Amino acid sequence: MPLVHAERHAGPDVADEQSDPRALLADLYAEEPSQRRQAARGLAAHPQAAPDLCARLGAEPAASVRSVILTSLIAMPSDTVVRSLLPYLRSKDAALRNAVIEALQRMPGALGPHIRSLLEDEDSDVRIFAVNVLAALAHAQAPRWLEVVLRCDPHVNVCAAAVDGLAEMGDRESLPALTALPARFPDEPFIAFAVQAALARIGAG
Amino acid sequence: MDAALQAPNQHAPPVLSAEEFARFCSFFYRHTGIQFNEQKRYFVERRVQDRIRATGSEGFRDYFSLMRFESAGQELQHLVNAMTVNETYFFREDYQFAALTGAVLPYLAKRRQRPIRIWSLPCSTGEEPYSVAIAILEDWADADGHDIEIYASDIDSGVLEQARAGIYGERALHRLSTPLRARYFASLPDHRFRVHEGIRASIDFSLVNAIDPRSMARYRGMDVVFCRNMLIYFDDLSRRQTVEAIYENLAPGGFVFLGHSESMSRMSSLFQPCKVGDSIVYQKPLDGE
Repeated sequence: MPLVHAERHAGPDVADEQSDPRALLADLYAEEPSQRRQAARGLAAHPQAAPDLCARLGAEPAASVRSVILTSLIAMPSDTVVRSLLPYLRSKDAALRNAVIEALQRMPGALGPHIRSLLEDEDSDVRIFAVNVLAALAHAQAPRWLEVVLRCDPHVNVCAAAVDGLAEMGDRESLPALTALPARFPDEPFIAFAVQAALARIGAG
Repeated sequence: MDAALQAPNQHAPPVLSAEEFARFCSFFYRHTGIQFNEQKRYFVERRVQDRIRATGSEGFRDYFSLMRFESAGQELQHLVNAMTVNETYFFREDYQFAALTGAVLPYLAKRRQRPIRIWSLPCSTGEEPYSVAIAILEDWADADGHDIEIYASDIDSGVLEQARAGIYGERALHRLSTPLRARYFASLPDHRFRVHEGIRASIDFSLVNAIDPRSMARYRGMDVVFCRNMLIYFDDLSRRQTVEAIYENLAPGGFVFLGHSESMSRMSSLFQPCKVGDSIVYQKPLDGE
């Protein structure tokens, strides 16, 4: 019979390493990605390591290690973590940026106080990414923030992203901001179209 | 009416106060990754009440402190066993077994110079790992040319005992033809069926908590992981942590099977989706370190 009784092939013992943050921090720079992942995973138990994890994120070449770093940061949401992650919204590396957007979406409480300044950023791309974060943020104020974007943001693409977000999470309170938007961009017919689609999704079309 | 069939009494005082319910859910989540909300209160309360009675505790506070401070963790294990859902049957979502024997195993056989390792996590009462074994023996023409190791793990020690025993009723076997039953099962006098000793002995059953890194680190070099209908019980963070742990468990080029309602793309971008027959399977990149 081809079925043979299994013999387990154990990985490294994680117990000792988890308890020594200095060793874990050193291992964040180890040659083997598996060792770096193990270090990043272990550092989830050490919130004081958040700045080091965030700093490593930008230099880390392996997607699998980045993923574990972000998971550890999601497990320790704080103002420090959010402040250290926000600069990555300006990264030219789309994969890193998207991974950071997903991570920020999972720390609504810590991100909340930073939303206003993000939505007032000079760079319209950063404002679009901020709107992308809001579009899946489990925060009671998220639709209200997107409505502010529709009323105030001067850039049509930022507003278009906010319309998409409200199509997903908007409610009846969103209707005035949505219906008023096409008048702000009369030369952009796709805005009127996107608003109609969003209203239909919300159930007011 | 049978007492067991009665609807919950809406006017009965709750077993747990709102604060106690929140404390309990938070404790249970930290230890298992399984989250309960207010809609599951009746389900949770009924099981906690059973355990309060079984342990002779005077009430929730008494029981909760017994469970938290019991160093062997035996009572927590009883509670886990009571809270987990273990409804399954042989060849559930059988198109995935067809994908395993028709494409995934032939692919792996060309690339592995060692036994092929398959892991059923969670294995519940054993129907899944035994289905894997039967599918291989029945449907993979090259099976005799390769060594295959099957591992099966669950967080629930009670279901593991049932899995090791390998005894099933008609309901669990309803997808199996008479010839298959005859080949792989012995009929018992009570109209149940027992998986043949050779197959039972070939599977390594073990207790594993998928959100505990130490527990998961005992498994490396897996080629296929069946992780069906477990992650749906987890919250976002536990799901990410578990998927990343499975990434470590797999050898480069290894595959994950999820339940039909689950999608890896909503949890992680570490794996590459592949369409195999009617199944979507998720592959760890060949250069995945």
